Amino acid sequence: MTLELRVNGADHQVEARADESLLTVLRRELGLASVRETCGIGVCGACTVLVDALPMSGCLLLAPLAEGREIRTVESLGGEDPVQRAFAERHAFQCGYCTPAMVLAAKRLLEENPSPTEEEVRLGLAGNLCRCGSYVKIVEAVLLAAGKEREWTS
Amino acid sequence: MTDARVTGAARYSEDLDLEGQLYARLVRSPVPHARVLSVDASLVPPRCVVLVPDDVRGLARYGVQIEDETVLALDRVRYVGDVVAAVAAETPREAEEAAALVQVVYEEVPAVLDVVDAVAPDAPLVHDEIALASGGAAYFGMRPQPGTNVCHRFQLHHGDVKAAWGQADVVVEETYRTPAAQHAAMEPHACVARWDGERLEVFTGTQTPFNLREELGRIFGLSADRVRVVVPLMGGSFGIKTFLRTEAIAAALARKAGRPVKLVLPRAEEWQTLNRHAAVVTMKLGALADGTLLALETTCLADTGAYADCGPGVAQKMGFAAPGPYRIPNVRVDARCVYTNLPPAGAFRGYGQMQSAWARERAVDLLAERLGLDPLDLRLRNLLRDGDTYCTGETMHDVHFAECLEAAAAAIGWREGRRGKGLSVILKGMQTPSRASIRIERDEDAGYTLRCATTEMGQGARRAITLLAAEQLEVDPDCVRFPSPDTDVVPYDTRTTSSRSTYMMACALEAAVQALREDGTMGEGEAIEQGGLDPDTGQGIASTHWHQGAAGAEVRVDEETGKVEVVRLHCAVYAGRVVNRPGAELQNEGSMIMGLGTALFEEVVAAEGQVTNANLSDYPVPSFADLPGRLTHELIEREGAEVHGLGETALPPVPAAIGNAVASLGIPVTELPLTPERVLAAAARAVEAPA
Repeated sequence: MTLELRVNGADHQVEARADESLLTVLRRELGLASVRETCGIGVCGACTVLVDALPMSGCLLLAPLAEGREIRTVESLGGEDPVQRAFAERHAFQCGYCTPAMVLAAKRLLEENPSPTEEEVRLGLAGNLCRCGSYVKIVEAVLLAAGKEREWTS
Repeated sequence: MTDARVTGAARYSEDLDLEGQLYARLVRSPVPHARVLSVDASLVPPRCVVLVPDDVRGLARYGVQIEDETVLALDRVRYVGDVVAAVAAETPREAEEAAALVQVVYEEVPAVLDVVDAVAPDAPLVHDEIALASGGAAYFGMRPQPGTNVCHRFQLHHGDVKAAWGQADVVVEETYRTPAAQHAAMEPHACVARWDGERLEVFTGTQTPFNLREELGRIFGLSADRVRVVVPLMGGSFGIKTFLRTEAIAAALARKAGRPVKLVLPRAEEWQTLNRHAAVVTMKLGALADGTLLALETTCLADTGAYADCGPGVAQKMGFAAPGPYRIPNVRVDARCVYTNLPPAGAFRGYGQMQSAWARERAVDLLAERLGLDPLDLRLRNLLRDGDTYCTGETMHDVHFAECLEAAAAAIGWREGRRGKGLSVILKGMQTPSRASIRIERDEDAGYTLRCATTEMGQGARRAITLLAAEQLEVDPDCVRFPSPDTDVVPYDTRTTSSRSTYMMACALEAAVQALREDGTMGEGEAIEQGGLDPDTGQGIASTHWHQGAAGAEVRVDEETGKVEVVRLHCAVYAGRVVNRPGAELQNEGSMIMGLGTALFEEVVAAEGQVTNANLSDYPVPSFADLPGRLTHELIEREGAEVHGLGETALPPVPAAIGNAVASLGIPVTELPLTPERVLAAAARAVEAPA
């Protein structure tokens, strides 16, 4: 079937089967490689995309259900987003496989709570796994992006 | 420019597509041990390409230390997940559907599913014969035990253990277990293979490009110049992407199809591809009343599953590191690498040393309890010092075990009260012998290009090597390019394992820079480390370069539920000289968090040989929510010291520190992970039979 998807501010017509996930379609049809499959069952968060500004697992969301909604991936941020800059400055990644999803989840977290505590960052990002274990520096990066650099240096 | 990993521009093997490629799917055995009576692919649509055993009978066997593998299982399957056929199709979905249409008839034979059962005299044999590998990775003497499931036995003799037991005032003995675990790298195994006439090209995430080139060459009868291995950035590895995994199947399918073939493993198949060795380690320690260690005797059984992979090396390292960083005049080690009908086990961050450290450091605490000594004092009294001789006969240099341990103890406030606290200290060997080479080319734009086989899996070695090169060339790091490894272009390197790359390449770089200065346009340098152990005596050079680390943990245990909460975790690691501080910190933090998962919940569970938790819901890995209340670490440096690899050192001491902290509350745990069930059971045992 033909789907009309609005992704990163542009409208796209793509071919997909009705039972294909948004993750599969974004990667195959639009070449958005930052959306990545790790667990395939919605527990690791590596396929996180923002759907109408809410983080969702692209592996669980059927592509047709994303029609008419505003989909954003990390490609739309351009690299100079404050969260991206904070991740780069704090070296908050190792292999980088989970990083785009982590950045999106952190962006949404800061929209909801612009001044989170360390505990709130841990809780807010608990749906995104990083097997390299970069968690300490990811928390630092999110607090830095929130302008709360001093809280974690103690 | 912002790092490609943050912008989403980073590309991994999984992201690579070649013109005209087909997608592969594997057909795996549903039974742990059986004769394969027939493989029938007649229902598969003719537009798909099917690889069946008869297609690969003429290909050579492979295996990095024992040649026990074939491209597909021939006539016999040895674990649930053994690959009996493979399909390539135009789309991943079509490949999946076609793979389900391959009909295989099995005749089951008795299986052995436990490492202790596997060494019993009447155990079913997983392999009838054990053939040694001829390649470069079999860098030590193999000692298979014919007619048994033991594919390698390593022994170490130092002093006279038997005589020592009579002199000891206190002797303790206990058996400790650690389960199989899954690396769970975020990126699964992914590769693309294509043939250009009689030349094979493989694009794959691997830590071992030259071992892979050698093995693919042997399998397909190709000289080294006819095999090319290119390694994109890996989305994590931790040991799972070492040696030959799925690449030979993709290559055989591509040759049959006449088109490139891409193979990406579904997540569940990762558990059927490689895990960490489950181990059963007995540890016997004897000491004088004042705490002076007299003797240590250990047996280590490493469950390598159905195929050896580098299991002999893992068992050997588990064995030679089992005595730990202590001066012990009498030592006996008997380490065996054992086949079972379970998924293969291989390299895993820590490489056997977590398993034996878990046993030894728990036994040291048990000994301290029997002696009525402070576990920190007992350790400090016996720790190796500069110039001491290890039980392998080698002299120890640049020794910092006491410094690491005291730092860990201080961080958790050990001297202010020991209840709920635990310590551990480890030594970890680096791949020995090994060889590294690097070439520096001066570019026309006054920049430099490094030609180097060191692969990147997130560990930051390439960043560290870039910084070292920039420092020695006296240029800005931005002037140094470091393209992904391509065996057609880069000089030989043993492999990117055992936390060796930054150290070895630092040595090779010095020679390369010197050569470049003389030549003007190009310079190549090499570093060679000689050594190795006699597998029958354990004497020789186990490691030219020892990694040293210690951990301190503070826990709370809910007595009602058995839940362990780690409130404080600290590791101190000897770093020599730090090259890339954020990268070094990430290695420590990542190792500690992985060690936390190992300690508390990571365990591959199998029933009748079938892994029952092969997904990231039933096999949880640490999340933000699992972090200790405080997680800190330190990198101990010394003026003028050489670079030390840091990729693994902070993992092996963590489970034992947490276990010792739990034991300090009167709960003598012996088996990982420390699930609530195990903690409650250990507490109940302690009540029934107080220590």
